[in-house]
Amino acid sequence: RGDSSSFIPQCDFCPDRLGLIHSITFFFTLAINSQVLILDLLEDGFGEHPFYHCLIAEVPKEGQIGSSCIVGYAMYYFTYDPWIGKLLYLEDFYVMEPYRGLGIGSEILKRLSQIAIKTNCSCMHFLVVIWNKPSIEYYVRRGALDLSTEEGWHLFRIDKENLLRMASGE
Amino acid sequence: MECVLRPCRAEDCAEVVRMIKELAEFEKLPDQVEISDQVLREDGFANNPFYRCLVAEVPPEHRSRDGHTVVGYGLYFFTYSTWKGRNIYMEDLYVMPEFRGKGIGKKLMSKIAEIGVENRCSQMKFVVLDWNRAAIDFYQGHGAVDLTAAEGWHFFHLEGDALKQLARGQLGQ
Repeated sequence: RGDSSSFIPQCDFCPDRLGLIHSITFFFTLAINSQVLILDLLEDGFGEHPFYHCLIAEVPKEGQIGSSCIVGYAMYYFTYDPWIGKLLYLEDFYVMEPYRGLGIGSEILKRLSQIAIKTNCSCMHFLVVIWNKPSIEYYVRRGALDLSTEEGWHLFRIDKENLLRMASGE
Repeated sequence: MECVLRPCRAEDCAEVVRMIKELAEFEKLPDQVEISDQVLREDGFANNPFYRCLVAEVPPEHRSRDGHTVVGYGLYFFTYSTWKGRNIYMEDLYVMPEFRGKGIGKKLMSKIAEIGVENRCSQMKFVVLDWNRAAIDFYQGHGAVDLTAAEGWHFFHLEGDALKQLARGQLGQ
């Protein structure tokens, strides 16, 4: 299952555009009880000025050739730090529980790092709640730095050196 | 004193970089500023800009001691939440010290809130350094909620009625 996971980048490159949109909508309602109207979600993600982008992880459906199911996603967008320029901001990062521990999350992070570098982002930012120890350990293990402890904010960033490391699959 | 708020133009970027550095000095992190006038220009005036910026300008007769007429800025962009959709994120809000206490900061913030509402944003978010009591008091006075104290992060947000009130130039509850 883990071996046959594939990744469809944002909608532009996806042949089944409607399928991807429906899947993203499904994830937005699955992850949290979203208050966003579906029409707004579609316009905001796939309109002239996208407010967010998605990476989708899917695996083939057992026993059904040519069919797949979505098991994880990352939702991100580009932000700006006036001190250093463009950043990639990871807003949502989710793998369905039965599919964890298979390297899908790591693969998603790797793809995101590649996107960040390709788009000249200085780093990747995300928020973690400080008492969520498993998440903190997950990110620190990958070279993430807790800016809040060091300077008084609560942000995590992944710097260029570790981004490159993640992008090369280390 | 008359002060005009207007969108930043490409030729304003040098002045905005000057003020970015002043803000970084105040935040005690001046060595972290790597941005240049050229990069700010490229990133802000591309097809899909990565940020937007408002500047506050005074007439020449009220220019600063150093001769500047651009005396404040608000840098913002749009973010997204699976929970609430579009947000407006206020990244920097700065007024030169000699022009403070004249409501320029409040005007900048109100304008950004207005832009947020016009663009279907449900929240405004921003970060504040935990020792910056004056800024925290200012933002809480406008209805801002400290999400770090409540939930363990250090982001402030303005939403719903408080945001709309700010966009109308009224104090939040």
